[in-house]
Amino acid sequence: MAAEAAKDLSIQELEKEGQWWWIAEKKRSRRLDYLRKAVWKKGALGGNYAPGIKVDLEMPTLFTNMYNWWKYDPPMLRRAKALAHVLDNIGIFITDQAQLVGYFGSMPNTIAWRLDGASIVNEELYNEPGIMPEPEEESLKKVAELNSYWSGNTAVDKLARVLDPEDAVKFLSGAIGWGAPTSAYGYSGKDYEYIFAGRRGFLDIIEEIDANIEGAEDRTMGMPGPDILPLYERLQNWDAMKLILEAAIRYAGRYARLARTIAENFETDPKRKEELIRLAESCETVPAHAPQTFQQSLQYDHFIQIICRLEAHEGAWPARPDYYHWPMYDKDVNIEKNITGEEAMDLVGEFMIRAYEVGGFGPRWAREGLQGITGTWVWTLGGVNQDGSDACNDLTLAFLKAARLVRVSNPTFGFRWHPKVSDKIMREVFECIRHGLGYPSIRNDPLLIQNSMHWHGHPLEEARTWVHQACMSPCPTTKHGVQPMRMASATANCAKMVEYALHNGYDHVVQMQMGPRTGDARKYTDFEQLFSAWVQQMEWIMNTLVRTVNLGRFKDPEFYGRPFLSATYERAVESGLDAVSPVGERGNCWVTFFTWVENADSLAAVKKLVFDEKKYTMTQLMDALEANWEGCEKMRLDFVNGAPKWGNDDDYVDDLMIRCLREVARHSREMKCPCGNSWPALPENVSGNIHYASIVGALPNGRRLGDALYDGGISPGPGLDKNGPSAVLKSCGKIDHVGDGRAFLLNQRLSPTQMAGEKGYQLWKAYMRTWADLGLDHVQFNMVSDETLRAAQKDPEKYQEVIVRVAGYSAHFVDISRKTQDNIIQRTIQGI
Amino acid sequence: MATECKECKSFFPMNENPEKGDCVQRVVDPRQAYYKARPVDAGADASKCGTFSKK
Amino acid sequence: MKCTECGFEAPVQNFRYLYNARIDASISLRQCPQCQARLAVDELAGEATQKVGDGEAPWGKSAGIEGLAEDNAS
Ligand code: SF4
Repeated sequence: MAAEAAKDLSIQELEKEGQWWWIAEKKRSRRLDYLRKAVWKKGALGGNYAPGIKVDLEMPTLFTNMYNWWKYDPPMLRRAKALAHVLDNIGIFITDQAQLVGYFGSMPNTIAWRLDGASIVNEELYNEPGIMPEPEEESLKKVAELNSYWSGNTAVDKLARVLDPEDAVKFLSGAIGWGAPTSAYGYSGKDYEYIFAGRRGFLDIIEEIDANIEGAEDRTMGMPGPDILPLYERLQNWDAMKLILEAAIRYAGRYARLARTIAENFETDPKRKEELIRLAESCETVPAHAPQTFQQSLQYDHFIQIICRLEAHEGAWPARPDYYHWPMYDKDVNIEKNITGEEAMDLVGEFMIRAYEVGGFGPRWAREGLQGITGTWVWTLGGVNQDGSDACNDLTLAFLKAARLVRVSNPTFGFRWHPKVSDKIMREVFECIRHGLGYPSIRNDPLLIQNSMHWHGHPLEEARTWVHQACMSPCPTTKHGVQPMRMASATANCAKMVEYALHNGYDHVVQMQMGPRTGDARKYTDFEQLFSAWVQQMEWIMNTLVRTVNLGRFKDPEFYGRPFLSATYERAVESGLDAVSPVGERGNCWVTFFTWVENADSLAAVKKLVFDEKKYTMTQLMDALEANWEGCEKMRLDFVNGAPKWGNDDDYVDDLMIRCLREVARHSREMKCPCGNSWPALPENVSGNIHYASIVGALPNGRRLGDALYDGGISPGPGLDKNGPSAVLKSCGKIDHVGDGRAFLLNQRLSPTQMAGEKGYQLWKAYMRTWADLGLDHVQFNMVSDETLRAAQKDPEKYQEVIVRVAGYSAHFVDISRKTQDNIIQRTIQGI
Repeated sequence: MATECKECKSFFPMNENPEKGDCVQRVVDPRQAYYKARPVDAGADASKCGTFSKK
Repeated sequence: MKCTECGFEAPVQNFRYLYNARIDASISLRQCPQCQARLAVDELAGEATQKVGDGEAPWGKSAGIEGLAEDNAS
């Protein structure tokens, strides 16, 4: 629908048409409308950056200059000095009408470049067309200079020198894993209990650090002995933490100064002048002190997130805003009535917009795997308090409402559902889904708390603080629970398990012997031989990824180092160790399982058609797979339609799925992380199913090289779940969502027509009851019709704001590739 | 004597140290309008600055 | 196989295989090596059935309650 036509329709008429994005425009305040439209979209459109997006060269230049200057300093101190130099000198800006500030580039249209992470990423940046600031030639020269400085010195370069060469080559082939084993590109949890629940400002932390320094210095001046030896390094780390906290306070002070300068010299509107003064006061209060107002609470959180992003790439955004900002919201809106609900709504909406505008340069594989967005900012809402009572509040409602007004694809929400959640809240959750946002995803809180205790031994009260560490995995926000480095590269391309089991460990796509030689599949006479090969390949893939990541984590404080993150972690402030050091962390690792369901469907097809029914021989199957099913269409269709598929409540294939998962769970308990804890699996996909389309060869489930893989987690193949939504839930309910893995993603598509009105809500609620009764831990919904999506493909300009759920994240439909779009459209619409 | 930043309309000295300050500029890009700031020294050479404007 | 757009004729495997969005359907997208058109191909018959433009859906509507009825979006 064109903007002009939409303007003439009433909200009721637009609702009837499902034109949610135009409704949002009509309903939101003028400020939110301006700020939402002011955002430069940083997510790559199907892989390419939008016109006008430029890489920011200020941060890399400032950082490198100072890093080079302090070359004799130990790692954490050296990085702290370089980062402080950035905070003191990078260009800052305040957008008109903004009440919250902080961005990690020097202009709103810039993407940040993490240049000390990996040389291969730096080389990609040099070759990326269209993103160099003008004059391009000068920028390219600058980038080349910076690249040559960092070549061989980035975190990944340093790690590659200590990795086993065979592991390194296989990992870097891109066939089995995703990501980089360094906190330069990791995801860090925030120690919200220390900062927000503990009501600490940075000056309070500096006081704690000073006391620790004093104590340690007393000891280093005292009785000689081995116990004082580690203190020398820790003293330098404490210096680094203190130095960076002071720089962060100065950084906020720069915003305060700018806000006052604008108010006193440029602004003529008295209301805006007042806002700018309030903004200045906000930045003078936080992060130096604990926040006193709702605005300051949000501003504090945002400063922490932005500075963390100036320190490392941060691919996710673990947060629980309705929980940690609730005390200040309650004070300002309910108790002292300092601001109205509408004023608070403007702040909540802007808080989401400030996160939406954040974007860093990502290599092509990351852009393809996360089409349309720059990271998975999944914020956690709802859940329980540490005593088990319902934690939902007015701010939960405000976030759910604000989401429908600003309609951003990032951040999205994961909602911690539990039986005590009120109907009022559930209705708001449903409204977001009905408005086609694709979020919140619904998480089963009691079950995931149990899961956290089962896999990682988090005590009950700590487990109850959990946030989404990335798209899916719960992680506590406590001293020993918080995770500083999400193991991004422990992400397995699981379809390779069955592919390698069939090809004797050889990868025909990257043309390399990858896994162990488990035997010539043409000679298999019994399904158990194939299954045993599958187990060996599964273990090999998991081991290779985990070994690499474990080493990356262990060496990270030496090869990278995170002074700012450490300064906000209770355990690091206390010990003087880098936050990334495994010491003091309980451990919360998981292996993300991309492209998982293909294993069960493929194994079931071989078992049925080759070994049970003997309709085809292994030789015929292998010939067809090697020909990429070319010329074997009838046989291919037999492998698709003549063998049971996951998601239809058919025990034949479902039992195989459980058998595979139990083997994985057994192995997950055998492997240990650097903290000594387990490595459970977590099936989910982002848009890795598209990225791997050209990397995974033909499979016995009927898929060809080039086809998208299934949309992920434990979601059935698009169009293959033919027995309705209850059958999908029943298949998924056969999985033990506590003991079989860390979490299991389920995508479902519902009909917007069926979900309309009160009847739609009641149907959905009944569906959710079954979902909970069957013990599933996750579900997320797409509720946009074929008609809208096809029209958006045809006329993208008119459908810029249509949002869809891709996998663990949402994206604007027009920003994802045609292949991903088709994949989403072909997902079964479930009538419930 | 060469022109210095302190003579420029965009220069705003810091209260605590007038030798240092911010260069504050108004920018209107295709999507939004904003004020940006970057630190400059009061005595920095402004003779080659394309956006110098006398106070 | 013959391209519905430019009439180019060659064995089906000479038309670059792009993808099949519905694994259970015998329809794939392939690209004509001569005119680069994206073609819907009936893999069983080895025939190109149509050129696929933006918003066109050779696989029909999504599976599920709305069945595989004709796409009426375009
Ligand atoms: S840098 Fe240029 S515009 Fe800025 S204060 Fe100096 S002379 Fe003025």
